[in-house]
Amino acid sequence: MQDSLILLVVLPLLLAFLLPVIARYLGNLSGLTGSLLLLFNILLLANAWNSVGYSPKVILLGGFAAPLGIVFYIDKLNMLFAILTTIIALLLWPCRTHNTDVREYVLWLLLLAGCYGVILSGDLFNIYVFYELLAVASYGLVTLPATGASYIAGFRYLMISALGSAFALLGIALIYSFTGSVNIAHLAQIIPDHLHHIWGYSAALLLIIGFGVKAELFPVNFWVAEVYSHADKRVTALLAGVVSKIAVLIILRFIILLFPWQDIFNFLLLLGIIGVIVGEFAAFYAQDLLRLLAFSSIAQSGLVIIAFACATEAGIMAGIALAIHHLLLKPALFLLASHCDRSINDLAGLAKSSPWASALFVILALSLLGVPPLPGFWAKLLLLQSLMAEQYLLLLVLVLLATIVEAAYLFRLFMLFYQRQEMPEQKRITIQGQELYPVITLSGILLLGLFFLPLFMDSLREIAMQTSNIEAYINTVLGKVQHIGEGNI
Amino acid sequence: MMIWDDIFLEVDFWINIVSIALIVIGIYGIVFSQHLLRMVFGLGLLEAGVNILLVKAGYQKEAIAPIVTQASDTMMSNILAATAQMVDPVPQAMVLTAIVIAAGVQALALSLVIRIYKKYGTLDSHVLFLAMERDRHLSLNQKD
Repeated sequence: MQDSLILLVVLPLLLAFLLPVIARYLGNLSGLTGSLLLLFNILLLANAWNSVGYSPKVILLGGFAAPLGIVFYIDKLNMLFAILTTIIALLLWPCRTHNTDVREYVLWLLLLAGCYGVILSGDLFNIYVFYELLAVASYGLVTLPATGASYIAGFRYLMISALGSAFALLGIALIYSFTGSVNIAHLAQIIPDHLHHIWGYSAALLLIIGFGVKAELFPVNFWVAEVYSHADKRVTALLAGVVSKIAVLIILRFIILLFPWQDIFNFLLLLGIIGVIVGEFAAFYAQDLLRLLAFSSIAQSGLVIIAFACATEAGIMAGIALAIHHLLLKPALFLLASHCDRSINDLAGLAKSSPWASALFVILALSLLGVPPLPGFWAKLLLLQSLMAEQYLLLLVLVLLATIVEAAYLFRLFMLFYQRQEMPEQKRITIQGQELYPVITLSGILLLGLFFLPLFMDSLREIAMQTSNIEAYINTVLGKVQHIGEGNI
Repeated sequence: MMIWDDIFLEVDFWINIVSIALIVIGIYGIVFSQHLLRMVFGLGLLEAGVNILLVKAGYQKEAIAPIVTQASDTMMSNILAATAQMVDPVPQAMVLTAIVIAAGVQALALSLVIRIYKKYGTLDSHVLFLAMERDRHLSLNQKD
């Protein structure tokens, strides 16, 4: 049954290449095929969710056994991210805009195929290839508005991203030359003990920095504000919400399975906290709404990295909660903000002209900040608890200070929204009802999640347990072949 | 001095030197050059260096190409014996993929460079960065 999950990657790729032909006959309707495909993917995932159950599964591609063949690894964490990716992509699918170019659909499908591939792959080199697929599609999508500024932002993004990919490839080359394998489960047996020296550390740093480009990790995230403020709003929402979280997911797998060394955790904690502080302060000084959200998403990614770098089950649980929360919330905020894309001071009195939109924005932003009883509060609480448990008190204080800065700029924004003064007539922003539809759905999911909080916490704990179980990962992938393959690897 | 002579005569050593030099020059080109085309060239050098290191991961001294030539070699034991003298084919497969990806990315980068030149008439990254910020500022303040 779970073998059908390979279709997640195959179908978007297939449709991407067929779509130009389909568009010739169906014209504007061709976008619908993409939505149908995403619906089908959701069904596929929902169907497989139960059959995966408590034990993770593995798909052997081409029928070759694990260390030599390529595998897709399927556990609840991967499935969860795949489902969320599909939901967000379905909500953001550019079908409703009438004059969408067929090339835009193709790029979206390629991006999604890359996302699924990265999520499911259990093989370093495959992750690299799918990551590149995702990256190349995103370069195309970023430059879609065809303005000069979007070209420049896209070029700078391409350069930093290609630099990151080269680093990642270098890391893979290092690992391969020491171990002769790129299968993650096989490497998880070798690297933690046998590569615990300078080359192992170099490979770890190269891989983390390489994949950190998309994860908005601190030293390689200057592209974030430029790209998010110049790209199309849907692309921005997808990159900020989904793609950055998928990159964080890869880093999580790396530090759990391949590099479980305290020095690497400390390094990530350092990068994470710098990212949080820099992001929040940059957001504090940002002049327009999109940049403010872009910087705040750097800070949120930093929080997720900190949680993961605690490397305890509680930390992983907190990180997944934060990641899911941000993954659902940031696209909604970006969609709302794209309607009022101007400098912050011009937004005074927004609540008068579009009361619903500003109310939604305030609720979502409060959840981002972590005000109880909104979902964001519970995610942040988990993070603080896991920091307490690990005795990272300085980090705890820094995270709280960063939250105060966050509160300062968000409340300044709310005050502006609810000022009495009217917007000048020619500058008034009114946000139509139907433009709010994806935003309402996303906030609905978030707020509904609140009612199922205990249930959700339980399944998160289960997922965190499964994720931190290295033995299970190795046994699932290599289990059946271990005794045959041992000699000649 | 004999040890040094040996090292200098090793192919291995020179391959490492060349690839690391390419990587360093490439990174320098991407980070410090002010001209967009030079950045693309830097990327090309960087990727070439990484690819050489990757393909070197499968290199063995005095090994042959990983092709089973004789029909009798299809016996399992013969294949195992033969692989001992062959270079590892996996990095070669990987490096082919990486080369194709790198070529695609560089082509995309060059096409962006052309678009940027058509819009702004310059390829100076500092000037272009300021132009991007100015465009953003204009679009924020002139909306409807």
